[in-house]
Amino acid sequence: MMELLITVFSATFFVTIIRTTTPLLLATLGGLIADLGGALNVALEGMMLIGCLTAVIVSVYAPWYVAVAAGLGAGALLGLIMAFFAFRLKADIILVGFAINILAAGGTVFALAIATGGDKGTSINLQSKAVPAVDLSFLSAIPGIGPVLKSFLSGHSVLSWLAAFLVFAVWYFLYRTPWGLWLRGVGEYPAAPEAAGIPVNKIRTWSLIVSGALAGLGGAQLAMFNYVGFTRDMTAGRGFIALGAVLLGARHPVGALLAALLFGAFEALAVVMPGLFNDIPAELIRMIPFVVTIAALVLFSIRAQRALALRGVK
Amino acid sequence: MALLEAIGIGKTYPGGVVANDGVNLVIEPGEVHAVVGENGAGKSTLMKILFGIEQPNAGTLLLDSKQVHFSKPREAIDAGIGMVFQHFSLVPSFSVYENVVLGSEPRTGIRLDRNKAIAEVQALSDKFRLKVDPLPPVGSLPVGQQQRVEILKALYRNARILILDEPTAVLAPQEVQELFVAIRSLVAQGKTVIFIAHKLPEVLEISNSITVMRQGKTVGQVKTKEVTEKSLAAMMVGREVSLRVERKPTEQTERVASVSGLRIVNARGTEVVAGLDLNVYAGEIVGLVGVEGNGQAETLEAIAGLRHVAAGDIVVANQNAGPLTVLQRRGLGLASIPEDRIAEGLSTGSTVAENLVATRLNDSRYVRGGLLDLKAIKANALRLIEQFSIRVGGPGSAVGTLSGGNMQKVVVARELSEQPKLLLVNQPTRGVDLGATQFIWRTITDARDKGAAVLLSSADLSELLALSDRLLVLYRGKIVAAFLNTPDLTPETLGTYMLGLSTQTADEMQAALK
Repeated sequence: MMELLITVFSATFFVTIIRTTTPLLLATLGGLIADLGGALNVALEGMMLIGCLTAVIVSVYAPWYVAVAAGLGAGALLGLIMAFFAFRLKADIILVGFAINILAAGGTVFALAIATGGDKGTSINLQSKAVPAVDLSFLSAIPGIGPVLKSFLSGHSVLSWLAAFLVFAVWYFLYRTPWGLWLRGVGEYPAAPEAAGIPVNKIRTWSLIVSGALAGLGGAQLAMFNYVGFTRDMTAGRGFIALGAVLLGARHPVGALLAALLFGAFEALAVVMPGLFNDIPAELIRMIPFVVTIAALVLFSIRAQRALALRGVK
Repeated sequence: MALLEAIGIGKTYPGGVVANDGVNLVIEPGEVHAVVGENGAGKSTLMKILFGIEQPNAGTLLLDSKQVHFSKPREAIDAGIGMVFQHFSLVPSFSVYENVVLGSEPRTGIRLDRNKAIAEVQALSDKFRLKVDPLPPVGSLPVGQQQRVEILKALYRNARILILDEPTAVLAPQEVQELFVAIRSLVAQGKTVIFIAHKLPEVLEISNSITVMRQGKTVGQVKTKEVTEKSLAAMMVGREVSLRVERKPTEQTERVASVSGLRIVNARGTEVVAGLDLNVYAGEIVGLVGVEGNGQAETLEAIAGLRHVAAGDIVVANQNAGPLTVLQRRGLGLASIPEDRIAEGLSTGSTVAENLVATRLNDSRYVRGGLLDLKAIKANALRLIEQFSIRVGGPGSAVGTLSGGNMQKVVVARELSEQPKLLLVNQPTRGVDLGATQFIWRTITDARDKGAAVLLSSADLSELLALSDRLLVLYRGKIVAAFLNTPDLTPETLGTYMLGLSTQTADEMQAALK
């Protein structure tokens, strides 16, 4: 137990949390944008998974940043496809989302087998690249706090820094720009923006494209930093956890960050614990992030119901 | 020279409904032009054509004597036409200024320039005497102020011509006066207003000229000074009408329903009914008066069992209705004509016959051994269609294909085919033509004469005054005044209490509270 506490309060563990949080945070921001626009994106999981594979395969032949852009582009394209089916062809958006998830689950294995020449499990025999970590070793030159700063801030993925910046960027977009106003208006009461001449479906289409791009970016981080290479079903429900994080974060970018950090922290715990507790089956430990997701959503919902009951609504 | 002219407008909807047939309209600059007609006369369709929501099948539009064609609202807005609908297009959580500038925001770089937006909204509000604070969220404002926000939206987009679609339908008499002040101020500053209405006294008060429509055609255009309410009504309906209902004297001694200490909280957590006590006796109609949203609808829903009650007791036919389900309450003799016939009253995709038995699915006359008795259901439908003169192809027609008046008759037929003990009625004739209105009024008073206790809510004061024996005025979820319906009770008196400008003392209310 002591060992666990020492691990949890170490700088390495903090770095692990940031690593596990980043893909979740990117997907959560994606989910947030789609959700605020009134287009629930249940396909985050599939978009992330396809983003993973695309990034891995492209990275074999191109520099890392091209691969990351490819993962992002794949997600954006899926967002566009989803919008086309949902808004142009008027298909049910939830069903379209699940279709994309199913397509991703099977399609990535199929594409992986072609790319690797028959391996249906991992891309281990592909020479895929990683996203570089940002080295801030110079910080340790600062007298006093320098070494501590370095151990906390150095070694994060480029995409982690980007994700942190995106929390601010999404907030600024939503609450300071006209387009953010349009997006929120479209999500809350589409008749109003419609009457003001704002093209509702175009806004929603863009929200799904951006949502997909962020999920794809999250996929790239997962397959080019957290792990290097692709494994079947490697997203392991992160897209769905992100949907929960949107709600838990009260549909606000800062809330999304906190919710993603919460889930990320428990995932990090699941990463470090097997090394410390040999007698607990690793499978049980790996369940932790999912159990926490369910528990958090249940608690959130109980609290909301209680608040309503207190005021006499139900 | 006319500012806006519509010549020979024709519009047939898919499905063959002729909404406009050779309609002409001439709007002079700087006037208030009223367009009047019964529901279904084609007023709304004509306005939708002027605003680019619908495209006409025939006819031309001239703006400043030049032919124009609007394929979408944006084009009409750009040409200087603004429209305020009956159902507002406002985002509830957005502030007033955000709603006003939505879609044409002032910007600095990529940023929304808040200060400029607030200043512009404030300036417009001052200039046209449309008093409203730019900062609070629209959802927290009363209906009258929300309407001002809608008007500001149009003015912000430089509307020269403002179309107001039944703007007074949702307002209390005093708010109507404030709206008229604003309209006069708009006209004084060079704007032109088109005013859709069916309340004739208001039309006579505010307009300069009037176009009368009937059954999709224009009957004529007149100067307001040259007509009277009577002559206008005759033009609208094509015959003399009297909106009176005879009520028999009844013995009002048996208490059928009573509500005490009722408290209701809505989903947003606001208290909408705050300690309400009322009794309804057999053989009387009690009218709930109030500006929409002051707890009338919620009270009726709570009695019907459709809404959770935070506190208080509801007794129906000497039984505590609190724990009873909707169906059990109906078993006690409760019937309910809901506010929104399409969302709550009917299943529009189902047939007339199915809708007419929808509340009796555990009645052995229509369901035996778990199977529908189609013959009995059809016979029941044929009988009610005849009895309530519902205009419909047959019992197998989908309810969604009927006109508003006939849909409402289906609801009324289902609820009143058997004499209820307690009848809850909300907005019985909203969007219903005059003929059907008269019929529905008579049906409700018949039920009363035969001993039903009726609780009626309506946005139309003349309806409440025509039907009720007693009137209770609700303001912010409380009864602030109670009246016995006597001929000298006027809408203005009620209006004072509806807006919370004054409150009766307990003694004053006593006589009419029973």
